[in-house]
Amino acid sequence: MLFGMLDEVFFYLGPIPVDHIIVTEWVIIALIALISYFATRDMQMIPRGLQNAFEMIIIWTYEFFTQLMDKEHVAKKWAPLLTGFFLFILLSNYSGLIPGAAHISGFQPPTSNWNVTMTLALITFFSVHIAGFSEHGIHYLGHFVSPSPLMLPLNLVEEIAHPLSLTVRLFGNIFGEEMVIAFLLFLAPFIVPGAIMGLSLLLGAIQAIVFTILSASYIAAATGEGH
Amino acid sequence: MLRKKGFYIAVLLLTSVFVLGFASLCMAAGAVEQPSGHTPEFGNVYVIGWTAVNFLILLAVLYKFAYNPINAMLEQRTTTIESSLRHAEEVKIEVEQMRKEAQSNLAESRREAQEIVARATKAAEEAKNEIITKAKEEAEQIKAKTEAELKVATEQAKMELKDTAATLAIMAAEKVLGRAITDEDHKRLVKDFVNEAGDLLC
Repeated sequence: MLFGMLDEVFFYLGPIPVDHIIVTEWVIIALIALISYFATRDMQMIPRGLQNAFEMIIIWTYEFFTQLMDKEHVAKKWAPLLTGFFLFILLSNYSGLIPGAAHISGFQPPTSNWNVTMTLALITFFSVHIAGFSEHGIHYLGHFVSPSPLMLPLNLVEEIAHPLSLTVRLFGNIFGEEMVIAFLLFLAPFIVPGAIMGLSLLLGAIQAIVFTILSASYIAAATGEGH
Repeated sequence: MLRKKGFYIAVLLLTSVFVLGFASLCMAAGAVEQPSGHTPEFGNVYVIGWTAVNFLILLAVLYKFAYNPINAMLEQRTTTIESSLRHAEEVKIEVEQMRKEAQSNLAESRREAQEIVARATKAAEEAKNEIITKAKEEAEQIKAKTEAELKVATEQAKMELKDTAATLAIMAAEKVLGRAITDEDHKRLVKDFVNEAGDLLC
């Protein structure tokens, strides 16, 4: 009824409608939480098994984002957010490959809905400016008038273009891929969509990486010394 | 080896084809009508709100179950390693000190031993000299004593010989004279004889 999206609503939590994709998000978060919980449930001084793998991943994210951002304390501060982006987008993309997804009304990957990608992009947008202010204080505003005040409009356009490009890139890729698979399933329901599905495994990972690395580089630009 | 590799690759390819085919079949099971391809509505505040809340929950989960415990563990491990290294350094210094002490102790003992040996050698040397000196003195004494005794004995023997000779002479003279001689004669004769004999004897 609201905004004409009754068919996508799964159930109502009081007056608040809960869409199918929101439930998918919950499942994704529950999965990540479950794995993390079991990995760090019984922390040992000498790591073994799942804890060891998990520690390696976490340390790897620190090192990766430190390389990307040049500043270790910034990387350590924002690594959880960026890792969250990566895991959330990756699992969202892959949720579209579960049999039954994409053509059942409502059961779609959350990232093929641009309300979701826009929310993620807005979180990046705010994080970038929070990172900038927390690193440089009020001097961060000088970032917008560099190299000269004449560039202010262009800089503002750039700031708005960043989240917009993040939104549309992720949404377009995943939505397009889902559409392609759906049409191929309709046209040739054996083997042929399989190839596209194999490709979309790659695509899902690439989009998750691209979103994460772009967010990291925006944060790096805001916290860097380049202004 | 190469043939085996080709075999594995073929099996892998076939498996993947069947898995993908099965998956696409499963997906196609519900796709009976042509997808409409409509894009989702933009600006659904409920989806935006839920997604924001969900992502914050995900962040909280990541902090609670991944980053915080692992950071704490890394911190703890760092402090443990640091303290272990510091402890090892301390122990090393202590061992070095003990080694030096032991070495100095050893040198001290060696020096003392040498001193003791030197002292003992000196004492032995002194004792030897003393003993030799004493022995020499004793030998001297014994020699002197013996010499004196020898002298006395010689004198005595000489006297005895003189007496015996005198007696013999008297007996011989008596025999020659055929009578006893008076004391006066006796004395004169003996004296003469002894003087002569003594000259001969000695």
